[in-house]
Order: sequence, then structure tokens, then C-alpha cells
Amino acid sequence: MFQQFELASGVKLFVRPTEQFKTINISFKWKQPLTVEKASIRAVLANILQFSNEVYPTNAAFRKRLDDLYGTALYFDTTKKGSHHIFSLNAETVNDAYLSNEKIVDEVFSLLHTVIFKPNLENGKFGESIVKREKEQVIERIQSMYDDKTRYAQQRLLENIRPNNPASITSNGTVETVKAITNEQLIEMHHDLLTKDDLSIYVVGDVNIQEIKEKMQSHFSFVDRTEKIEKPVDIPSETTDKKFLHEIQDMKQGKLHIAYQTPITFFSEEFPVMQLTNGILGGFSHSKIFMNVREKESMAYYASSSYSSLYGLIFVLAGIDSNLQKKAVALIDEQLKVMQAGDISDLELNQTKSMLTNQLKEALDSARAQIEIYDQYKELNASFTVEDWVGKWMNVTKEQIQQMALTIEKEFVYFLSGKEGAANE
Amino acid sequence: MNKTYFQQLEETLYNETLPNGLDVYILPKRGFSKTFVTFTTKYGSIDREFIPLGKDEPVIVPDGIAHFLEHKMFEKEEGDVFQKFSEKGASANAFTSFTRTAYLFSSTDHVLDNTKTLLDFVQQPYFTEQTVEKEKGIIGQEITMYDDQPDWRLYFGTIENMYKEHPVKIDIAGTIDTISHITAEHLYECYNTFYHPSNMVLFVVGAVDPEEMMDFIKADQAAKTFEEPQEIKRFYPEEQKAVDKKERTLQMDVQKPKVLFGIKASNTDISGDEMLNYELAMQVAIEMIFGRSSAFYQEIYENGWIDESYSADFSMEQGYGFTMIGSDTVNPTELTEKIKETIKNYASNWNVEDEDLQRIVRKKIGFFLRALNSIEYIANQFTRYSFNDMNLFDVVPALEKLTMDQVKAAFQSLIDDNAHTVFTILPYEKSNE
Repeated sequence: MFQQFELASGVKLFVRPTEQFKTINISFKWKQPLTVEKASIRAVLANILQFSNEVYPTNAAFRKRLDDLYGTALYFDTTKKGSHHIFSLNAETVNDAYLSNEKIVDEVFSLLHTVIFKPNLENGKFGESIVKREKEQVIERIQSMYDDKTRYAQQRLLENIRPNNPASITSNGTVETVKAITNEQLIEMHHDLLTKDDLSIYVVGDVNIQEIKEKMQSHFSFVDRTEKIEKPVDIPSETTDKKFLHEIQDMKQGKLHIAYQTPITFFSEEFPVMQLTNGILGGFSHSKIFMNVREKESMAYYASSSYSSLYGLIFVLAGIDSNLQKKAVALIDEQLKVMQAGDISDLELNQTKSMLTNQLKEALDSARAQIEIYDQYKELNASFTVEDWVGKWMNVTKEQIQQMALTIEKEFVYFLSGKEGAANE
Repeated sequence: MNKTYFQQLEETLYNETLPNGLDVYILPKRGFSKTFVTFTTKYGSIDREFIPLGKDEPVIVPDGIAHFLEHKMFEKEEGDVFQKFSEKGASANAFTSFTRTAYLFSSTDHVLDNTKTLLDFVQQPYFTEQTVEKEKGIIGQEITMYDDQPDWRLYFGTIENMYKEHPVKIDIAGTIDTISHITAEHLYECYNTFYHPSNMVLFVVGAVDPEEMMDFIKADQAAKTFEEPQEIKRFYPEEQKAVDKKERTLQMDVQKPKVLFGIKASNTDISGDEMLNYELAMQVAIEMIFGRSSAFYQEIYENGWIDESYSADFSMEQGYGFTMIGSDTVNPTELTEKIKETIKNYASNWNVEDEDLQRIVRKKIGFFLRALNSIEYIANQFTRYSFNDMNLFDVVPALEKLTMDQVKAAFQSLIDDNAHTVFTILPYEKSNE
């Protein structure tokens, strides 16, 4: 999908020239091992670099510059992937070809250089008032999860099944770890980005490969990543005997979140078979869970499963009447059981193959999705193509699906509901 | 088949109005893998009072019926339509808004088969009392889900504050009570009135051969029989200029207060170029005064009165419209006072340079060109524009021609204090902790 070049040791450039889009997308992804403290520092640093820099020392000046560049989108973002934290800088700008007499792509490169290499420092430190406010913004972002009941319930489930583990650490860390951040730690983390983090740079659009490579080399001087960041010591999860937790908030709907574990992960040979297995169980609107929980029993508006392949976890989510928790869990258990018994129709298998294929091919219609998919799948194979991957699904049999279903084990049921549901426990 | 080339955008649009009245548009996109097709009727939650096809007297139908009908279209005697789409690798969906109901799919393969499925399932209704009853549980859970979303409650609470009579104030899905009265007979009455091809638009965008697709659609429609097209008579109540309620507060289980400042639009009985120019002028005015590069934004951000949830938008359809500015904030009163003060200041002193206008116009053009990478955006927006007699591809030239006088005139409609309202969501008092 992408042509790749090494700009320095640990710094790679991936380019995909295409006439498909009217814009050019650029993405820098800095990667290092995930810990809750570092996640917080990186989330706050992203906000600080988004606010101002040496050339545009006020946010208004910086924003106006972006508006002038035809509303170029330029934003930092922090996410996680498996046991890594990803600090990214994304930009999307109009291709010069669609504007009369303008040359903005070069200006965007120069602006990207500024935001990465020229932070807004006073005596070698970030402005204290900026640090204080951006810490507060990240704290509020963490707290706002409470207001989104689905996200909150999912996070509570993860904290219960995988405490102190990358699966439950969020890309913002916690309120406590954000509060503890110092100016020095932020400076040090910025230095890590420039010298230590693994860096992948993506460019998608109507571009000339050689030109992009030269622009990268002339605008940015990336140093070899000789020093490696130490991996955190794995803290084994405290094992809990608890299998069920019901929590109460003032709300109307019951949010049912069930976790299952499987030894099959993204890196397993059977990964493509598990993608199909999850699809048949609950990935689509023809799947067993949707057909039975929603269409047959009218118990839910949404009811689905998702496969978190980097952690070997499968989640089933459903929004139900708070009195129907036990009935819903039994019905969902039943769907996995019939798959384990081999009750999988040709129709279901073929529908799921078609839908997964369509989903992956469709992703090619968004530049950002091209970057995200390749960024993940290149870990398995640098010459990944959508066609090759689709081929892995085509010959999968019902028996293989049944074998996969047998590796899936229910681990925990989390239920968040209003007071009404509690009375009927 | 008409063919229009938009030189600056390098896009070619094909279109034809079929004998049964259906407007068909096809936009091929170079390099794309998928095809996205939307089939939309100009019928939404605000269409609650109308004269049914073949009758003389107006009726009022239960709230939430357009959305209920959307759900029920997917169930047929032989089963669920999703099953059929899945077999051909198409992701199908539908949505109901205040003014539209859209059915859609996207697929990278079997595009003609999937188009046939789309046309057939939307044009062959099947409702029974039994299937209608079954859906009430599912939609009941959908309504409950939205009831638990503070941002949805905030948005609707603000609209309810603004409108006294107009049905835009009624939740699109209705309530558990209103949907309990819906019958199969109601659904047929609404279906027959609003799903006539002459009230609908079919939009095809992506990897498509325009001639082949147009021939396929024409053959399909020619093989089906429809009543003669008739003008649909819809009734909307008179709405006062002033807001209905100046201020309301709701308590929910949230961490931080949320506030929206709403401004009811005064000039909404427009369409075509007039609407396009007014809407763009209003959006530019809002962006200039309340956008992220404005002095207002810098001040409230540095004061810590807003967070990442901040937004300032204008939206309208024929008959209603509103500006909404707000954020999650621990200082809801300071924030809304500052909004009022800012409007007053600009009203007495229009402190805006030509350079500011040019900058915002450039930003809007860039945003539009980025949006044209999304075939979903094109299909949905094109249909909305077409129902209001506007053309989506006129946006860039209209922005380039926009004058300071137009922007200033649009801003004038924000000044009247009677059109202002505030809705706030507050956390529960922590009295028993």
C-alpha cells in the first residue's frame, strides 16, 4: 500500500501517491511503551503544543495562520495500541491543484516543522499558566467520560478485569497522574519525541514520492534513535474471583457489558478466523446477537460484539431495560454456546465474509483509514494489501469457526443501571 | 440525462427526473472503491399534520411516526432486509431527521443488486399489527438511550425553549407514550402520502458507471406502477418571533454543568439562492465572532470557562432555524453573559476588517474541499440542498462572492434579546455525601 523509506534509524516515512483525494494527509506517529504516568504527560504535552509555539506565541495567531492556509486541519492526538502509547500529529491540507495561484503545501510543511521543533518556551520551560490550564483541560476530558454512560461502563469493566494493565490504562492516564505532572517532565517528554520515540510518518495524496522525500529531508532533521526507552515491568493483574458487578447511577437504561477472553490475538495465525467468529457472533446486523436480542426478543436497540485483538478480549454490549439483565445474559450466553456446538449456517458464514471484505475495502476510501489500517497491519507484514487479507477469509470453514468459538471464555459481567434495576436483584 | 461539469472541483454530475417524478443524481468519483447510494424522502418528524393521499381533510398523526416508519421499512414478510444486504456485502442503514428520512447502503461489489434491494424495500411497504407492536420495545430502548445522553437533552431542551408551536420542538423518535398509539394503518397512511417517487431523491456516488446505473434505475422504475404525482399539503402552526421560554434548568447525573445559548432565527421562510446566501453569511458571521480564532474564544478559553466540548453553530431548514453556542463549563452564567455582551458590542461597533472576512471565507472553502473527500457527506448534503432548491456545488462560488454587507445583515438577526434563550444541565446537589 505504501512505499517506505528510512529517514534515520527508527524514523520511517511511508508514502502513498493517489489522485483519489482533493487534499493531502500527513500523519506523524510517535510510539513508546504505555504507562499511566507517561500517558498523562503525553496527553498534556499534546495540548500544550496545540496551543502555541515560538513563531505563533498566542493561540489566536496560530489559529489565524491555519485559517489562512485554507483552514488546514492540524491537530495532535493521543491514543494507545496494545502496550504502546501513540502520540500523533495529523494535518490535512487542500491540494494546490484545486486553488488558483496558491502554493500552500510547502507552507504547511514549514508550519509542521515549527509545531514539532519550536515549542513556546520561556527560559527553557513551558509557560506555567499554559501548563496549569492544559492540565485542567485533560482532567476535564477524563472526567467527562462519566457523562457518557457507554464509555463509562466499558472503562469500569476494563478496570475490573485488567487493573494496572495496558488494556485498562487510557491514553490520558488518570486525574491523579495528570495532577502530578511537572514542567520538567513535559520538557523531557518533548525531548523523547525528538530523539527517542519510534517515529512513523505517513503521507497520502496526489504527491510525487521523490518530492515528498526531499521535502521531509530538507524541512526536518531527524536524529537516529540510538537510545531505547525501557519497557515497563509487567505487573501481573491481581486475579479476582468476582465474575459480576452491578453499579448504580441515576439513569433510565441498563448498560450491559460482558467480557470474554481468548488466547487468540492479532499476532496469532488464527487471527483472521477469529475476526469471522466475532462477526458471526455479534459484529453485524445479520449476526446471532443482533438477530436474537434485538429482532427476536425486542429487548434492545443496540446489541453487538467487538473483538479487541491486541488484548485477546471480546466484548458484548447491549442497552436493555434494567429489569432484564439476567434474561439478556442468558440469551447472549446461548448464542456463544450454539456456535461452540457448531450451529453455524452457510448463510451466516458467507454474509460475514462479504461484510468483513466490504468493511476493509471501504476503508480505502478514506485517507485517514488507509493510514490507520496500514499502521496496524504492517506489524504483521510490511507488504500488506487489502486483497491478500481478504483472501485469508475466503476458505475458512464452519469447523474452524467452531474451534475458535471453543477458545472463547466468559470472564466478567458488568451492569450499569438506574435504581429500578437494583430493586430486582 | 443531463450532465454538468464543475470545473474548479473537477466533478461531473449526471441527473434526470424520471416520468414518475423521481429525481436521480449520479456522481462518479475517481479512485474510489465503494459506491454509496441514498434514497431519501422529503418527510421528517415535523410533518405531523397533512392531508393524506386521496383524502380531503387534514390529520394529525402520533409524534415519532416518521422514525417508526423508517424502522418498519426494514421488515418484510420474508424477513429482515439487512440479511439480504449482508449476503451481497453491503452495509445498509437509515436515519430520520426533522425534515428527511433517508435509506442508504454502501458496497464495493454487487452494486446493481444492492441498488435493486434498496429500491424494492423502500417501495414495497409491509406492515402488520404484530410487527408494529414488536418494534415498540426496540424503539422504546432507543428513546431511553437518548434520554440518558446529557448532550442530546441539552440540544432538545434548547429547541423546546425556543419554539412554542412548531413541531421541531418534538423529539424525532417521539416518546414511549406517543409511539404506543401508532398502528399499521397510520404507517400506511404516512407511507402512501410521503413515499411517492415525486417526493424523493436517489443519489448515487462513488465507483459507478453513470450510463449503466441510470439505465438500470430507469428500467426498475418503469416496471413499477405508482399513482399520479400529487402536491402534498402539509400544515405548520404559526410561530411567534420571540422564544417560548427564556431560561430552563435540568438536573442530571453529570460531572460538570453544560450550557447552551440559543438564538431563534427570524428569517426562515426562504429557499434557493436566498437561503444559500443567508445560511453561508450566518455561518461566516458566527465563525468570525465566536469561532476558535476570535477574540471572544481566546478570552473564554484563557478564563477557563470552556473546554473541548465548546461549539458555535448555525443550522436551518425552511420554517425554523437556530444558532447555538455552548460548552461544558463550571461557569455557565459567566459564559452566557459574555456571549450576550459580545453580541451587544458587535451590534454597536462592527469591529470587523475585510481581512477577517477573507480569512474565514478561505477557511470555509478549505473545509468544503476536505468534505468532498467523503462520499457520505456529498450524498447527504446534496440531498438536503436539493430539497431546499439549492445546489451543493454552488457553495464555493457563493462563498467567494460573499460581501461584508451580507455578513453584517445576517449578524443583525442575532441581536434581538427576545430571540435569546439559555438551557443549562446541572449535576445533582451532593447533599448526602
